Amino acid sequence: MSLLINLRNVSKDYGGTVKALESVNLEIDKGEFVFIVGPSGAGKSTLIKLLYREEVPSKGQVVVLGKDLAKLRRREVPYLRRRIGVVFQDFKLLEEKTVWENVSFALEVTGTPNREIRKRVSQVLTLVGLKDRRDAFPNELSGGEQQRIAIARALARNPDILLADEPSGNLDPKTSLEIFSLLERANMYGTTVVVATHAQEMVNLFKKRVIELRNGTVVRDERRGAYSS
Amino acid sequence: MRFIGYVFSEAFRSLWRNKLSSFLSSLTTGFALFLLGISFLVSINLGYIYTMAEEQMEIQAYIIKDATANQIATAVDQVQKIPGVSTVKYVSKEDALEELKVMFKDKASVLESLEDENPLPASIRVKTSSVEYIDKVVEEIQTMDIIDDVIYQEEVSRRMMSIGKAVQYISLGGMVAVGAVSVMVIGNSIRLTIDSKRHEIGVMKLVGATDGFIVGPFILEGMVMGIVGSILGAVFAVGIYNWLFEKIYEVIPFMPMFALDAESKLRMFGIMAITGIVVGVAGSVISVRRHLKV
Ligand SMILES: Nc1ncnc2c1ncn2[C@@H]1O[C@H](COP(=O)(O)OP(=O)(O)OP(=O)(O)O)[C@@H](O)[C@H]1O
Ligand SMILES: [Mg+2]
Repeated sequence: MSLLINLRNVSKDYGGTVKALESVNLEIDKGEFVFIVGPSGAGKSTLIKLLYREEVPSKGQVVVLGKDLAKLRRREVPYLRRRIGVVFQDFKLLEEKTVWENVSFALEVTGTPNREIRKRVSQVLTLVGLKDRRDAFPNELSGGEQQRIAIARALARNPDILLADEPSGNLDPKTSLEIFSLLERANMYGTTVVVATHAQEMVNLFKKRVIELRNGTVVRDERRGAYSS
Repeated sequence: MRFIGYVFSEAFRSLWRNKLSSFLSSLTTGFALFLLGISFLVSINLGYIYTMAEEQMEIQAYIIKDATANQIATAVDQVQKIPGVSTVKYVSKEDALEELKVMFKDKASVLESLEDENPLPASIRVKTSSVEYIDKVVEEIQTMDIIDDVIYQEEVSRRMMSIGKAVQYISLGGMVAVGAVSVMVIGNSIRLTIDSKRHEIGVMKLVGATDGFIVGPFILEGMVMGIVGSILGAVFAVGIYNWLFEKIYEVIPFMPMFALDAESKLRMFGIMAITGIVVGVAGSVISVRRHLKV
């Protein structure tokens, strides 16, 4: 197994007195599926943001895909992000683009050849089961469908890591199950998946590694864990 | 190659998708540049009026009665060599009388008596390339032996010199001021457009687009709007100017006004287009940069 994500003694504050994360140590191997759980304000989103270099640690070292992110130069960040797919609670789709364009856009802006774009977009839309809605606009889709598009976009480049921050935050239980199943599917194809979530039933159902944060520190790290100990 | 293709298709798609706001931005740009064009036209007119006045400034140097033809020829040669002198014309006694006759053609009989003994002196008439030279030229001419007396509009030439400086400063100052306003108006309209695309820029960063891919289409959009704006502005400026030109000519035919030729139209359009493009591009880059901070 090779180490894809390694946090050593990581602390993060946003300038105030509150520490969003404090002395976090964490190792995630290639191919793992990890849930990050914990109460609101525990630091889950902060942890995810450190992994795709939206934020940098105040202390300690964040190593992702072999790169020390604090040392990464500004112009190297895009190339890191191309190997990491990210999914959010609010989908972050572009309203004026169609389903197809929302996914192809991610490949276009990174200079992928047209042939390759057509092939990949077609593949991932089939994977998330929305190929026949390719010409619809986001506001013509349900929340679950929009999230599937966001996942398709995140997977378009066949990333090494898929990060999700509350991917089912706005969705009902049945739709949430669809979304988590998709994440598991991506994991089966070899992508390492890290999901921050409050979805208790899902965590209990999928029986994956669970890391629990409280007040910015890791209080539990279990193989095949449940939402609460 | 992929990059160029992407930049073009994305820029024009975005311009088309936001037809109305693209058009309004071009119109705003056009209006700002129109003002710049008008201030340019005002400045060429000030310059034109000044040159016209300058051209009428003439130095008359009267020649003593018993100067020989040889002396006169040498004197004309000498005057020609004084720095700043543009034209030198010798006017003989006979020429002077002819001129007088033309001026008083109804009273030619009065002048007839002068034919036998023409009292008018011969003279050399000198024009300088600019009023600044007049003082120096007059000084030199006065030292010449065969010159009797030198007449020129001393006071007028002095005034012209100070007006000339003022005209230059006012023209330049006006254009700079209007230019600055254009820059702000265009810059602001670009800032608004780009702020409305915050979300899109965020997504581009998220999926790993490099800065070039993010900024590229905005630069091209800024350029296109700058060009469209300068065309709109130039067409309006020329149209209004020509209309005014005719109206004024009808009322005051002798008012000195500069008739627009191809060269000055091109210069005006050049100033407008360069301002439009530079501000469009710089404004886009600056505004996008604010959203790019990682
Ligand atoms: N940009 C920021 N500026 C200042 N403080 C922040 C910022 N982002 C997060 N925080 C603070 O950091 C702490 C951790 O926040 P974080 O968003 O990581 O929690 P979370 O576990 O994701 O919570 P939730 O479950 O509600 O999403 C909180 O105290 C929060 O107020
Ligand atoms: Mg959160």
